[in-house]
Amino acid sequence: MSTNGKSELLLECRGIDKNYNGPQVLSGVDFFLRRGEIHALVGENGAGKSTLIKIITGITNRNAGTIAFDGYDVPLEHSKSASEKLGIAVIYQELSLIHGMTVAQNIFLTKEPLLPGLPIIDIKKMNQMAQAMIEKYGFDLKATDVIDRLPIAQRQTVEILKALSNKASLMIMDEPTSSLTATESERLFGIIRMLKAEGITVVYISHRMEEVYDLSDRVTVLRDGKLVSVLEGDEISPAEIIRLMIGRELTADESHHQMVDKSAGEVVLEVNQLSSEGKLKDISFKLHKGEVLGFGGLVGSGRTELMRAIYGIDPYDSGTIKYQGKPYAPTVEKSIASGFGFVPEERRLQGIMGAISITGNIGIPNLDSISNGAGFVSDSKELELSNKAITLLNVKPANPDVLVGNLSGGNQQKVVVGKWLIRNLKLLIVDEPTVGIDIGAKEEMYQTIERLSQEGVAVIVISSDLPELTRLSDRIIVLRKGRIIKEFTQGVVTEEQVLRAASGIVEGGVQ
Amino acid sequence: MSVSAIRRLILTGLLVAIGIALSFANPTFLSLDNLMTLLQDASLTGIVAIGFTLILITAGIDMSIGAVIAITSMICVNFISYTQLPAYVYIPVALAFGCAIGWVNGFFITHFKLPEFIVTLATRGILAGLALIVAVKDDQGFVKNVFIEDELFLSLGETIGPVYIVTIVFVLLAAATQFFLKRTRAGTNVYATGANPTAARLSGINTDRTLIGVYMFSGFCAALASIFLAARMMTAMPEFGIGSEMDVIASVVIGGTPFTGGIGDIWGTVIGTLFLALVKNGILKLGLSPYIQPIVIGGIIIVVVVVDVWYKAFAEKKAAQAARRKAMQGKEAGA
Repeated sequence: MSTNGKSELLLECRGIDKNYNGPQVLSGVDFFLRRGEIHALVGENGAGKSTLIKIITGITNRNAGTIAFDGYDVPLEHSKSASEKLGIAVIYQELSLIHGMTVAQNIFLTKEPLLPGLPIIDIKKMNQMAQAMIEKYGFDLKATDVIDRLPIAQRQTVEILKALSNKASLMIMDEPTSSLTATESERLFGIIRMLKAEGITVVYISHRMEEVYDLSDRVTVLRDGKLVSVLEGDEISPAEIIRLMIGRELTADESHHQMVDKSAGEVVLEVNQLSSEGKLKDISFKLHKGEVLGFGGLVGSGRTELMRAIYGIDPYDSGTIKYQGKPYAPTVEKSIASGFGFVPEERRLQGIMGAISITGNIGIPNLDSISNGAGFVSDSKELELSNKAITLLNVKPANPDVLVGNLSGGNQQKVVVGKWLIRNLKLLIVDEPTVGIDIGAKEEMYQTIERLSQEGVAVIVISSDLPELTRLSDRIIVLRKGRIIKEFTQGVVTEEQVLRAASGIVEGGVQ
Repeated sequence: MSVSAIRRLILTGLLVAIGIALSFANPTFLSLDNLMTLLQDASLTGIVAIGFTLILITAGIDMSIGAVIAITSMICVNFISYTQLPAYVYIPVALAFGCAIGWVNGFFITHFKLPEFIVTLATRGILAGLALIVAVKDDQGFVKNVFIEDELFLSLGETIGPVYIVTIVFVLLAAATQFFLKRTRAGTNVYATGANPTAARLSGINTDRTLIGVYMFSGFCAALASIFLAARMMTAMPEFGIGSEMDVIASVVIGGTPFTGGIGDIWGTVIGTLFLALVKNGILKLGLSPYIQPIVIGGIIIVVVVVDVWYKAFAEKKAAQAARRKAMQGKEAGA
């Protein structure tokens, strides 16, 4: 690739500012990419990685700062199609592929080769061109394969081929290995190195430090919307990246949260050798009365899958569950009747019914207590119940008729929790309880969980927010690739320890 | 062999089996006359079903097709009653009107982001009422039966050899549309828009334009069927086509185009149309009450959809198992 007269840099972002009508998400971020490098972009959740990528790809616009791509000054009013024309491609897991179409059709969508002089697609030529590309990169694909039948790893390679056919000079990969197996990941790394050899710049976003370490020429670390550091060559090490990502001094509150041994309490839940093909492997743990058990791990490590199995949403293949000492074969109905509460990860999709009032949302899982034998619902009992939940959790506005979809994220989450609290709760599972809610509501959520534990409710907390996990938990189990990799039972656990375990960094190297 | 190919084979087999059974039950079934009439019926429904297939591929629905048939035939009788213009002038005008209705449907769906069902249900109501209003009336205000006398118009209801012209048109239109869907960029865009509109837009497809085009084509097909229906009946009535949605939807669904979008083609619809026409013809030939036709058609739709859903779940489960097996092998190799 000739770089005559061109700068060494492919992309220069200077002083990027972004706020979404309120909190500053990015402030004064500089981000430079060299031609043909593999550049990792890392940071904790909420550090601003995704926003920076959205600005570069034109999905959202920056408030201030300059961007130059390949010598072209990108205007403030950027757009997705403009960024594609410039040669910026994002590799999604499957979002941009069309189901029902073949690999070749997807690669050449809207730019299919035509028969000379006719508006007719030359299918033979299209398949040959696609096959030639596939073979050039040594992918395990056929041009005529239909997308639907391909595993995710192969769909990803189709995405990459599509970007290549668009003559992309910058490919952005956001957590590309999160649903790949080890072999598939290795293959992807090979592809990324091949892209680099072709002079294509790759931005690699991952929480998996060992990948970042193995792959990257340079690493940009963001924290709280600011650029922390750019590492290069020998400076790159998993431990150093984690230190920079977490960075801030631990506050007294966080650093002094001691693990509390509650194993003397009655065992509420006992999970033994739980396995589910491709998701979970030999998970065993006990949960005690009044204990807050934290589950750490990366996205895709199996935490959510484990909880869904325990709650009875998804089946599992082998292993046993005991609840209050008795064997327990979970179904959702049974779990609700037995005093389980479940606050799912995707609030909008799984937690709330947005077009229904607070009263309705609270009432629906509690119909047993507000209806009579004939199945008629008592409005006054339902209202009483929802008012109770509203007061208990301080939902604002405290109006039971408000549609839940119109509440703020924090208050929506209170409603989700509230519908369980008014029951005779024995076990509460919360999955990422404070994602997308403001600090005040977060604090209230923590206090609610602490109060429940004091009242003797056993709580399981899944969180990718490490300060949250270490603050709430009496004990922390870290999952990695569907297995328990580490358990912290005493003393003070730091975020760094949890993240190291989740990333597979143990004494003696990467596992 | 792909799932849809197997499905098509089974359907064709059933088609032949029912045909053989009917020929034993009633010898007149196999007469050339009956077969050609059966094809004529199938072709009238089939022409509308071709347009409707494209609508379903985009994951939409067009409830206005029946009313388009009615209004188109009324446009023709108005020309016949109040002007001296020849058919080759007003038939294109009527066809263009069908396209225009499709454009209006598409415009409201894309521009105001309205649900397809609501928009086309509304236009259906408006057009059905309009057809009655513009129908040619006698002195007492009753709808008058206007007879078509234009020779060109009437010839559209006739045959070439033993085959009705409408059947020839149906076959040509089916072949052309199938070719369009599979071999042109615009056809590919129709599939992409239905399968994943976001991805289609990200790939640079103008999905709004695609949708408007598809609704215009559906309007055109309905108008075309209306002309042939009028030519066959030698007259036109404002009730023409009203309620024909049922047959059209049944034909397309039996043919294997689902409501979920991104899937389907014209060959399936052709087989589905023939299947439906055969069943309807068979009910008559067996001497059964014509009133049971809609009951049988409704039953067939349910059976077909249940089998499709069941088979899809089965195929997906097998595919997931295979993928997992492969992934586990990979994991072990990588560990």
